Amino acid sequence: MATIGAHGITARLPAGFEGRIFVRPATVGVTYPVGQFATFPIPDDIGDFGSGAVTVMGPSDVFATLFEYGPESVGTALFARQGRPPALAQADFSPMVLRRGIPGQSGTQWFFTESGRPFSFYAVLGSHAQRPALVPRVNTLLSSLTLSPATADLPMARPQWN
Amino acid sequence: MVALVIVSTFVVLVLGILVTGLLRSHADILRSLHELGVGVGDPAAAGPVAAPVTMVTPASSPALGAAPAIAGVTPTGDARAIAVDNSDDLTLLGFLSSGCTSCGAFWEALQDPGRLQLPERTRVVIVTKGPDREVPAEVGSRTTGRIPVVMSTDAWVDYQVPGSPFFVLVDGATGDKVGQGVASHVGQLAELVRRAEHDRGHAGDTRGRGEASLGGPAREAAADEVLAAAGILPGDPSLYPRTLDDVFPHGRAVPAE
Repeated sequence: MATIGAHGITARLPAGFEGRIFVRPATVGVTYPVGQFATFPIPDDIGDFGSGAVTVMGPSDVFATLFEYGPESVGTALFARQGRPPALAQADFSPMVLRRGIPGQSGTQWFFTESGRPFSFYAVLGSHAQRPALVPRVNTLLSSLTLSPATADLPMARPQWN
Repeated sequence: MVALVIVSTFVVLVLGILVTGLLRSHADILRSLHELGVGVGDPAAAGPVAAPVTMVTPASSPALGAAPAIAGVTPTGDARAIAVDNSDDLTLLGFLSSGCTSCGAFWEALQDPGRLQLPERTRVVIVTKGPDREVPAEVGSRTTGRIPVVMSTDAWVDYQVPGSPFFVLVDGATGDKVGQGVASHVGQLAELVRRAEHDRGHAGDTRGRGEASLGGPAREAAADEVLAAAGILPGDPSLYPRTLDDVFPHGRAVPAE
């Protein structure tokens, strides 16, 4: 079981998962940490929410993104939920939630605030039909994440223009 | 006086013999290092005969053991974990250093898989020691961003890397190492990977990745499952459209002029 951590996010990756936690270089404005986790080799040049990855995943695979938003999102209605969702249910996954509709796949997305930081957690199942086996894998991943409060080296704590 | 000359001559002779022996020993060591590809100067200049490949494959070493996951940081301070047992592909791990002269050619070649001409579906990952042993900026200056570069001293310990450059080939289907060792030339490394791929055989993609992964009855069953999950059961009228209005019940989109 590999453990990775950066930018105030730590993941004790379940068996078979790989992942990365990064901050994209900012061309304009400020960028925030992104965590990507998958049960298949993650291509290097994919989008934050998995574009370029979900097309190569198999029916028995899982892909998930933990995406942090800017501090201005804290306190808004979208991020009113305190803490990540509890164990996800099969009914939480729907083909209609996919950012890019791919036949057979389904997804779920949750917005929440944890440790004073606003996040969204987006997960894709390689096969909606196999969700009884895949949803527990997502839940194991979700419970393996540790989200720390913003510290001096995190974007949330950087000085910003008003 | 004569005795002093004799003693001095004897001492000089003994010292001469010792120095000669040391020089021969030193030459033997240098020759051995050069054959391993870590000698002084450009190993390529010595020609292929002087740089034998010592990488072992399943044919020569049937059980190299399981390959652990690699977790560390990138040269930019991000976190990265690579699982080597989550696909049917081969993973070639290149353990390199930023200051190793014989690693230079591999830094360039491994980040340009087309030039290396590795078998299709071979994933390449470069692993350096962690920031405690390497300067991230120096490692970063050698990376192109085309392949994962992970800095992890733990990985070097886990894989028992004796020095750089060192390579490990992992079969993703089993998670086992199928080859490891040193290769002093890029061409030799590619040949070893091709040989391992050939030894492994062409088992095909059993995990069903990619758009053409299912076929025949399996594809039909998968389609039935998805349709049933969407509430479309056998005999559903939507499966048997008679007119275009059946296909587009909410009207057809009109292309913009």
